[in-house]
Amino acid sequence: MRSIIRRFEIPTNHETELINITQSIANVIIESGVQEGVVYISSMHTTTGITVNEGLSDLEADIANLIQTLVPDKDLYRHGSFLPSDGQMAVNASAHLRGTLLGFQVYFPIEYGKIVKGSRQTIYYVELDGPQQRTYVVQVVGQ
Amino acid sequence: MIDFHTYPIMIKELTDSDHLLAQNIHGVLGFHFPSQPLDCFLRELTEAGIDKAVILPLDCTTAHDCIIVSNEQIADLVQCSERLIGFASVDPLQAKAPSKLHEAVCRLGLRGLNLDPAVQRFYPNDPVHAYPIYQVCADLEIPAFIQCGMSWAPSGLAKYSQPLLLEEAVQSFPSVNFILGHFGWPWILDGAMLALKYPNVYVDTAILFSGPPKDAYRHALIEHVGLDVIERSLFQKILFGSSYPRIDVRRSVRGLRSLGLSLAAEKAILGANASHLLFQKDGK
Repeated sequence: MRSIIRRFEIPTNHETELINITQSIANVIIESGVQEGVVYISSMHTTTGITVNEGLSDLEADIANLIQTLVPDKDLYRHGSFLPSDGQMAVNASAHLRGTLLGFQVYFPIEYGKIVKGSRQTIYYVELDGPQQRTYVVQVVGQ
Repeated sequence: MIDFHTYPIMIKELTDSDHLLAQNIHGVLGFHFPSQPLDCFLRELTEAGIDKAVILPLDCTTAHDCIIVSNEQIADLVQCSERLIGFASVDPLQAKAPSKLHEAVCRLGLRGLNLDPAVQRFYPNDPVHAYPIYQVCADLEIPAFIQCGMSWAPSGLAKYSQPLLLEEAVQSFPSVNFILGHFGWPWILDGAMLALKYPNVYVDTAILFSGPPKDAYRHALIEHVGLDVIERSLFQKILFGSSYPRIDVRRSVRGLRSLGLSLAAEKAILGANASHLLFQKDGK
């Protein structure tokens, strides 16, 4: 059994943004040499998400709009004070709550050295409080 | 659009190359968020619709034995992007402060002065230490940005940062444009009074005490100062400033736009007033 972990830095450009990371996952699997196993994709942040959907720009816009509608920015949230541990105003409750709805991780099986997923399934890194410099982790476990 | 109030204290290129700087940002300013590349700051400005940002250093040599981003580092950052407008800082308690400010403007090309009396621990009405600095501002025709009101820096002392302390200096140096940071909050009406009365006093919108900017701005500017007062008498004396990275620029812009100001007032606050202050001298 092998475990390979790769960290990826990703610059984001917008407050809410879906970024296709499917190819980088495929590359890690090839690089790992694992034939049978599992790949885990995790974001390292609490105001981002990982999701899977069809890789179409109109759907990307719809998903971004839906997230913003479901968790509006204007509501009165408790998370809205100075945070001494950061030295910043923590006023991004909506971004945290949007992240909670999406989840921070997805996983796929690996078979014959390739990811097992539907042909239309695209893996997205979802920025919810950008622009920022973000990190996600890909772990391949198997043999 | 111009953000008149940002600090380059979260820029990875600076903190990675200067570990003492990183230590002082933590220790003196109480800022702990992980650094990000300069390009990330520029992308943040773009997403917020901001064209240019004033970047502010702070010389705390006497109070804390450190300089939190030097004038030279500011000048280097300005070289990296034409969107950045560099200000200088000097420590008024140091004898060489006037000549250092002169050099920062004339040799390094910096365009204004930043002082934070609460953190630097001096009284801005001190004729011995502060007035020679203001005289250089007058001689060089540069604005003096004086941080007022509450400082979130753990080391900051509010007894030095009350807006009314500046009134005599404002009278004594009528050719110097004084900008009162944070609108002087919680002495917000004092800040408003000075900006109303004196042609050479401005205030900025970096009002950070509780809640997102849309709530903090509404509380301070609409409920205390009054929308009618701003529209009639103050909008040409207010500069947009976020205090990034204490808060993000995007939400600060949205907060200002949520106040229900007239388009003329919004345009003035978000850029025209700052542009007038910064570029009137050289017509840029």
